Amino acid sequence: MLQHAKQGSGHWHTGSEITNRIQLLIYYVTIDLMNRKGASITSPLLDARGLVKSFASRRVVDGVDLQCRSGEILGMLGANGAGKTTTLRMCYGFLQPEAGEIHIDGIDRVSDPDRANRLIGVCTQDDTFDTDFTVRDNLLRFAHYFRPRPTDMENRVGQLLTRFDLARYADAKPDTLSGGYRRRLMIARALVHQPKVLFLDEPTTGLDPQARMSVWELVDGLRQEGLAIVLTTHYMDEAERLSDNLMVLKDGQVVSGGAPRTVLGDLVGEHVIVLDANIPQAGAVQQWLREEGIGEPTRILNTWQIALDGPGLAHFSAVFGELRFEVRPPNLDDLFLQLSDKDS
Amino acid sequence: MRHYRAVAAWQSWAVLNRHMTVYLRNWHTAALPPIFEPVILLLVFGVGLGSNIPAFDWQSQNVSYLAYLAPGILAYTVFMTAFFQALFAAYIRMHYQKTWDGQLTTQVRLEHVVWGEALWSATLGLAYAIIVMFVLVGFSIAGWLDFHWSGVIVMLPLLFLAGVAFAALGLLFTAIVPTIDHMNIPFYLVIMPLGFASSTYFPLESDALLAQAWLVINPLHHLAEGIRLLLLSGIWSFHLLAALMLFGLMILILLPVDLRLLRRRVLGER
Repeated sequence: MLQHAKQGSGHWHTGSEITNRIQLLIYYVTIDLMNRKGASITSPLLDARGLVKSFASRRVVDGVDLQCRSGEILGMLGANGAGKTTTLRMCYGFLQPEAGEIHIDGIDRVSDPDRANRLIGVCTQDDTFDTDFTVRDNLLRFAHYFRPRPTDMENRVGQLLTRFDLARYADAKPDTLSGGYRRRLMIARALVHQPKVLFLDEPTTGLDPQARMSVWELVDGLRQEGLAIVLTTHYMDEAERLSDNLMVLKDGQVVSGGAPRTVLGDLVGEHVIVLDANIPQAGAVQQWLREEGIGEPTRILNTWQIALDGPGLAHFSAVFGELRFEVRPPNLDDLFLQLSDKDS
Repeated sequence: MRHYRAVAAWQSWAVLNRHMTVYLRNWHTAALPPIFEPVILLLVFGVGLGSNIPAFDWQSQNVSYLAYLAPGILAYTVFMTAFFQALFAAYIRMHYQKTWDGQLTTQVRLEHVVWGEALWSATLGLAYAIIVMFVLVGFSIAGWLDFHWSGVIVMLPLLFLAGVAFAALGLLFTAIVPTIDHMNIPFYLVIMPLGFASSTYFPLESDALLAQAWLVINPLHHLAEGIRLLLLSGIWSFHLLAALMLFGLMILILLPVDLRLLRRRVLGER
């Protein structure tokens, strides 16, 4: 009986093991499939490594790496001349890198520029639409510059006109549109051939706040549809709100990259102290900053903005407890000012 | 070699297609210059001024000034049309309208833009030349001209090639002039003298070595003389072969130079 039980038990265990093994197999197959699917989703649509570019013997971009995945917005930040636009121009093929590799959805853009360019959409800083054509014809005409040629263009253009709220201006010349609608047309035109990667070079520069926000909404919608979007901007709130990842350039090199909060922590610090710059103890504060190796504070009008980490803030409070100051979290404006200050 | 291969790329023809579409939309105004300019020139110089010029010997033939002038105007039309398009119109598209920048955000690359401009300039030059031919046919029907028209169809590819070559010359200046106002320098110091000192409006005959050398290397002179001999006598002369070779040489030399200079100007590449 016992033996039978053991046998039975043994048999039952064997059956369980088989069941377990089948379950395990199903589990591993599922995981493998998920991984494969995940790999195709998460592998970068834009993958650039070691980009180098010089103009007149000055190295403008010096070993920049960047990746952007489907459904992701990569924000490129930096002061004027940091190398943002040059990096972007190399990625979309306007300029040829001296060194480095760029792959668009796995296609090498140097050896196969035609296929790579078929997969990208570009919205340049300046308006470059064709002023000889109407808004609708600009979209239709643009399709002529792609092979395989985009199909069902009448429908596609109709959808874009509606989505970008351009339908009422369809028969107008682009140079009669307001700044916001010109930008919409530029972005719509970049999407005519249904690219996978979209480059937006300062897409809201010069727009009023309402027009900027409507462009943000459109860009956010494109992200949700799975486009990989690379964005350069001078507007810190724009970079902060839109970007999943940030890349900060300085003198042609990446000085920080990652999620916006991480970048801020890396480059600015955890806290920013806002202090009246005209207080009698100003000299003492400057002396303390120098001794701590923090350097000169950023000055905005009559205030000093001092970025500090946690222990630094505690130390400052201990030393200058009698002063009145405000503590706030850092934002990208601080980062930008800090980069600019170090340049000057 | 890549520079020359781009002539056959679909992108170059897509650029040409864009320019042609814009042009044809305004055909009713665009057709006025190629029709009325030769008519006016032939009436003013050929008929008006020509009536005061006695027939003269040219290549052992006695020709009227109108008969001498008409083939010259044909050659001059191809030259000036193609050059003008590649200089002023291309510059406006490149600098003011930013048409090139827009095209360069697609699968079109700079070599395609440049070839597209050259092909379009040549197409327009050829189209204008064909219109001039119709005008000349009208003059022939009116009894003012007596031309051999049999070789004209074969001449058309040569006129197109001439257009590409003159466009390549125009694009050279487009690449180097600092502003549109500076175009007066190449236009009045190079192009206008070249256009007239090429056996187009008057016979350029001189025993001076410099003048002889100028005529030997001047493709427009060979084109004008070749067309003239073909239309007046039905003779296929060495001038047509010389023109063919010189135009080919111009394209081979100038297009890569244009591209290099425009790469610097448009893309900022060294």
